[in-house]
Amino acid sequence: MRKWLEPFSRPHEGKPERISRHSAECQPVARQRNVRTALAAALWLAITIPGSAQTPAIPKTIPEMWGAWCARCHGQDGTGKVSEPTVTVEPLDFSDCRIASAEPDADWEVAITHGGSAVGLSSQMPAFGDVLTADQVQGFVRHLRGFCSERNWPSGNFNLPRPIFTEKAFPENEFILLPVAAHEKNRPSAYTVRAIYERRIGRRAQIEAVLPMERVYVATLDDPEVGVGDVELGLKYALTPRSDRYLLSAGFDFVFPTGAEARLVGGFPAVYEPYLAIGTVVGGTYLQGQFKVEIPSTDSFRTRETIYNAYVGRDTSVFPNTWTVGLELNGENRELWLTPQIRKGLTRTGALGGAFGVRVPLTDRNEHSIAFVGYLLWEYLEPVFSRR
Amino acid sequence: MTSGGFFTSEEASQGLTGSIAGVASTKEAAPKPIRVTIDPAVCGQSLPDESILADAAGHLANVIVTVAGVKSGAPAETIVSNEKCAFVPRVSTMRPGGALKMTSKDPMLHTMHAAAPDGRAFFNISIPMPNVTLSRPIDKAGLATLSCSTHTWMRGYLLVTDERSVVTGKDGKFQIDGVPPGTYDLRIWHEALKAPPAKVVVKTGETAAVELTLAR
Repeated sequence: MRKWLEPFSRPHEGKPERISRHSAECQPVARQRNVRTALAAALWLAITIPGSAQTPAIPKTIPEMWGAWCARCHGQDGTGKVSEPTVTVEPLDFSDCRIASAEPDADWEVAITHGGSAVGLSSQMPAFGDVLTADQVQGFVRHLRGFCSERNWPSGNFNLPRPIFTEKAFPENEFILLPVAAHEKNRPSAYTVRAIYERRIGRRAQIEAVLPMERVYVATLDDPEVGVGDVELGLKYALTPRSDRYLLSAGFDFVFPTGAEARLVGGFPAVYEPYLAIGTVVGGTYLQGQFKVEIPSTDSFRTRETIYNAYVGRDTSVFPNTWTVGLELNGENRELWLTPQIRKGLTRTGALGGAFGVRVPLTDRNEHSIAFVGYLLWEYLEPVFSRR
Repeated sequence: MTSGGFFTSEEASQGLTGSIAGVASTKEAAPKPIRVTIDPAVCGQSLPDESILADAAGHLANVIVTVAGVKSGAPAETIVSNEKCAFVPRVSTMRPGGALKMTSKDPMLHTMHAAAPDGRAFFNISIPMPNVTLSRPIDKAGLATLSCSTHTWMRGYLLVTDERSVVTGKDGKFQIDGVPPGTYDLRIWHEALKAPPAKVVVKTGETAAVELTLAR
């Protein structure tokens, strides 16, 4: 009996700190479930005749449970390929590190606890939340991540909600539309929409292209200038892919002054923008930061700028379509802005997301006024809608 | 359609109701057994296909008979068990807002996947060990289909309705008591066979006899 109960009560060895959207909501329920499951196990033992050679053994450890329960659909090796498939939607291939590493533990925990449909995956994946403890659910997440045998894939636990201005440290496959409507004092309003394409390359890198469209006023002209803004090309590289505490990335953007200012001044020397970006989670709170220096080439009319962004945010639920409430501090040289913002996953899979915020100037308030900002985001390699 | 009112405790206590009793039968042949592809140690090498379950005389089980327009009667919760890789009972009824309780006697993973008629899942929960009882509410009226993600042949049906409904037993028989006098349509549902609605006249203190014949 003791042996049977062991996996339901044994504390987790080497349990990592819970670092994502889940802990506060899930654990009290899990404790109740622990008791319930233990009782059920005891009841089962009390009234069942010891199994014959033909009766399947009740699994005790996570690998045994994987073999007895999960492997039926996911395969013993996690590839989702089995000789007698019983589900019509082939499960994800967990041996593919791109799949096994990209999302936070919380997403997998929700899928195991509440079933696939809770995260927009197939409803043929059942919910195990009634019969597993929170520790066991985490054990399964570690087990499935273990099917990825390659190193240096950054942990999906640092794939954090995108702030509006702060660069994410995590390499992404996303397409983003980022509008900014600025209502400056003493000047007509200006509008820009940045179309951002991000593509992950290999384990740690990401390339990025930004095509902005703008309608801005230039001091010397009466009418607004409408057209392409400063085009950017960028490269980002994860520096600490094996850390389970934070992800630090370095990036380098080349900015080509193709915007209104440059068109009027003439010449197109590039601006070089090296930066560092960091992301971590402390007690379910997301912390992200970016430090960037904009270095104009020698013959540019631009001046050197120092950019610093910091973001703090929290989810309101464990599901991918959660609301995330955040606050950003945006600095440029000695000027500061504060950008309170909300973000929401727009479909159950979270592959579409939107954010809205208000950028409020903290300095030079005679010069600057508020701006309405936001983004629409599409993770173009993820299914947008739920799988049946 | 119905000419009587709804069932009330006053009518029942005063003996002002009647009953409907009958038997469902069919001449359709039983389907071929199902070949078991997984867990033969528990499920066996093959299982009877209970989509048409009739005795030698053709008396048909698992037919839902509903008295159109008469409210209530279905239990607020129903329990469905997984036994030797089949849902027991295969067909049941429940009131909207009631709880579907699920259990298992089999020592391996079953899942209870309940889906609305449009295919959307109400839920899919795993029952990986015997003698745990799990529960989920179903608020929406209609026919819920039950299946198991790991044993593809398993089928069950749960009619969620606030009308009076009963399921025929293995002898094909059914009985509905406490029906106010009146003329009613009996709606007949079966997972594979059909029959038109049957008209029945209920008189106080009497049992109206009905014979239902179902065919493809």
